[in-house]
Amino acid sequence: MPASASASTNRPEHLIFRLSSSEGEAKLKALKEMKNQIIGNRTKKLSYIKIGAVPTVAGILASAGESDAFLLIQSAAVIGSFACGVDTGVEAVLDSGAFPHLLRILSNPDEKVVDAGARSLRMIFQSKLAPKYDFLQKEKMEFLLLLLNSENENVTGLGASIITHSCETSAEQKALCGAGVLRRLVSLLEGSLNQRDASLDSLAVIVKNNPEVISKFVGPQSGRTLSAITELTKDRCPRTRLLACTCLIVIRNSYPCYLQDIGIKTKLLLILLELLEEPGQVGDEAPFALANLIVEKEDLHKLAFEVDAVDKLCNFLQKVPAQVKRFQGILLALAELCSKLENCRSRLLSLQVLNSITDALTHDSAEVRSAACICIRSVSRSVKDVIQNLSAGCFMNEVMITPLVQLLHDPSTSVQVAALGAISNIVVDFTTRRVTFIQCGGVKQLVQLSKSMDSMLRLNAVWALRNLMFLADNSCKQGIFLELTASTLASLICDPEPSIQEQALALVRNLVNGCINSIEHVLAEDGIILNAVGRQLWSTSYTEVWVQGVYVLSNVATGNEFHKEAVMQQLLPQAGDCSQSFIIKFLQSNDNRLRTAAIWCVVNLTYPSSPEAFSRVVKLWNAGIFSQIKNMDDDPCLDVKFRVTTALKQLTFGDSST
Amino acid sequence: MSVFWFVSRQLAAIEAMATSKKVITREEWEKRLSNVKIRKEDMNKLVMNFLVTEGYVEAAEKFCMESGTEHIDLATIKDRMAVKKAVQCGNVEDAIERVNDLNPEILDTNPQLFFHLQQQRLIELIRKGKVEEALEFAQEELAPRGEENESFLEELERTVALLAFEDVSNCPVGELLDISQRLKTASEVNAAILTSQSHEKDPKLPSLLKMLIWAQNQLDEKAAYPHINNLSTAVLEDPPV
Repeated sequence: MPASASASTNRPEHLIFRLSSSEGEAKLKALKEMKNQIIGNRTKKLSYIKIGAVPTVAGILASAGESDAFLLIQSAAVIGSFACGVDTGVEAVLDSGAFPHLLRILSNPDEKVVDAGARSLRMIFQSKLAPKYDFLQKEKMEFLLLLLNSENENVTGLGASIITHSCETSAEQKALCGAGVLRRLVSLLEGSLNQRDASLDSLAVIVKNNPEVISKFVGPQSGRTLSAITELTKDRCPRTRLLACTCLIVIRNSYPCYLQDIGIKTKLLLILLELLEEPGQVGDEAPFALANLIVEKEDLHKLAFEVDAVDKLCNFLQKVPAQVKRFQGILLALAELCSKLENCRSRLLSLQVLNSITDALTHDSAEVRSAACICIRSVSRSVKDVIQNLSAGCFMNEVMITPLVQLLHDPSTSVQVAALGAISNIVVDFTTRRVTFIQCGGVKQLVQLSKSMDSMLRLNAVWALRNLMFLADNSCKQGIFLELTASTLASLICDPEPSIQEQALALVRNLVNGCINSIEHVLAEDGIILNAVGRQLWSTSYTEVWVQGVYVLSNVATGNEFHKEAVMQQLLPQAGDCSQSFIIKFLQSNDNRLRTAAIWCVVNLTYPSSPEAFSRVVKLWNAGIFSQIKNMDDDPCLDVKFRVTTALKQLTFGDSST
Repeated sequence: MSVFWFVSRQLAAIEAMATSKKVITREEWEKRLSNVKIRKEDMNKLVMNFLVTEGYVEAAEKFCMESGTEHIDLATIKDRMAVKKAVQCGNVEDAIERVNDLNPEILDTNPQLFFHLQQQRLIELIRKGKVEEALEFAQEELAPRGEENESFLEELERTVALLAFEDVSNCPVGELLDISQRLKTASEVNAAILTSQSHEKDPKLPSLLKMLIWAQNQLDEKAAYPHINNLSTAVLEDPPV
């Protein structure tokens, strides 16, 4: 074959042989050949790594003399390329022991050698597998400053990458700030284009969530640095604009007294919306920066709405983005934008992008699937007008429900959790549409997930079941309960995680809210559920669990004689047990909700028209509950105060003089 | 840059006075122009920026000496021009090796550029009629990139389609063989090298001229004044009366 003249000598195995056996020019030539083969070529890198090329090259780097510039440059470049973009390559490079030799050549007199070493080290530090750099060690910090103060652009870039990769804790942030790193980075903002970008990137890492460092950073020079960064948000280079915005957003989110005026907020919004249009990495990262800017801030949601952010983001969804990261980012930004304001949600619904979001539920990438769920959850977190006008029709149709239920089987846990979140919002308050969900096998899968080993999955599954149970009709409740079974519910109430206990109790509370038939469920299997509720109320110390538990008892106490007696059994200590009833503790609580729940329970138990009311009143008197309630006639919570009046009337059979 | 100031200041001044269309005579206009001071050094920098970015090494060298602008590392321009020229002549492999010598990061962190260079290599093989070699190269080097990125795959399919036509000059993908394809790839490499050298990839001068035209258009709605219509001569032409 004509093409293969060089192919046989170019074969990976042969090239490695030439590398290790030749000397001088021939060795250099072999190194260059390998470099030109692997740069930009992932497949080649992997095949060379597999046959052990990295240790051979590392050996050449280690044994080359200081004056052998060509060999040092080429071997460092090959090693750097192996570490670029391929995790197994970074691993192989670190295992080969090349790292200290790359550091060594940074002090070579030949500038080109230094360039090669710094570039390769920077490649390594761009991977999360790179060794953590310990800033708290004195000599390490000195070395870092040496790098940052270098005249060589690649070396300062390396310094910045080390910070971006390794600075995590607030102690490290403070140490870097104290050593003067911040000052140097700020001065690099006036350096070359690449130095500027590297500096912005590291600055964001050093100030993140650290008000103390930020105050040092913006304080002494009275905002000169801030205005320098603000200026860079208008730079010609899109990457610089994005990095400058990100830096300002980090400062703003960590130190809320800066950058609060509406002008800069609007400016950041407009710049980021414009950056969405950029091709490549900048456009992929812009929606994430946008989401960070508006996260949990209603005023910014409002501003974003006013500058048509919903429309602009939705435009990108009309034509499905090819890059996974961009798609994910746009969905997450929309999710954030629709998390609070009704007008954002209705705008999104009116733009007819719901189909695109639904399609994203079956996307190949787990990140996109998860982001689509989060977006649906946010859009469906709506008050009634949107629900009635728009979403009632579009949310609860099979087109959306079916893929959501399928995502409950997703191999990725984070997708499952996100899907549960979406389902939780959708199933609430759609009395007629629940049937669709149940028919798709949704309940069966929720019940499965409520038994998962993963506590996040358990929590979200129980939460969804709780919402599904909310104001459901009796046959629906019956169906869910049969699937779930009394024993599973009882064990969920006793789950090791308090948040799951709370959701399980809330689920039971929704189950027994309403007709007598549903109360029967908690007494199934010898009252296994009610006993579990009682046990938790006696043993736990979490207010949220108490509130839900007492409401369960309170709801059960609206039932017949038998039901009320069952509650009494849980409420009062058994004969011979001298401990005080938990209900007294709850009535004394500082938490309004807990007092309200507890007093409701007493009111329901002593409702005068039921035949055994008198005997229960006597028991409550004896347990000291009456005297506790008597002290509460001036409760600061109005709700409690009203119930106290009712309770006192019932406990004294209308004789308020007692 | 002073020229920007000039344009926007003129605009603001005229905006303030014009409610109906104002006529500005040539005399008046030239008086205004001479009132604007533009520093010679700024003009020189602008010219130098253009010469360096576009890679006119000799002109830059001469201009540097004559105007006394700050020293520029001419070696990096020469290297960059050598790469550009190699692509323009179809010696893509040579160009790739030169880029990798210059800075190995450029092609390692820029998959799109790397793909376009490899695609150009394939095009050159097809141009030379080396069918078997072209197929082998496409399979070995380009197909794996196509697997990594869907849009690369489409471009690869388009390129390989060249092999299916007897008369490539007259086929739907024939433009790939055109010289403009080489120039496109060459300017993409040029821009990437500039960026890696912390240099802006576009010269400032063309955008300044665009701004001039924009400003004139804005002004046209409010005033009649001497225009620059021919940018290469920059002669002021009287407004139609």
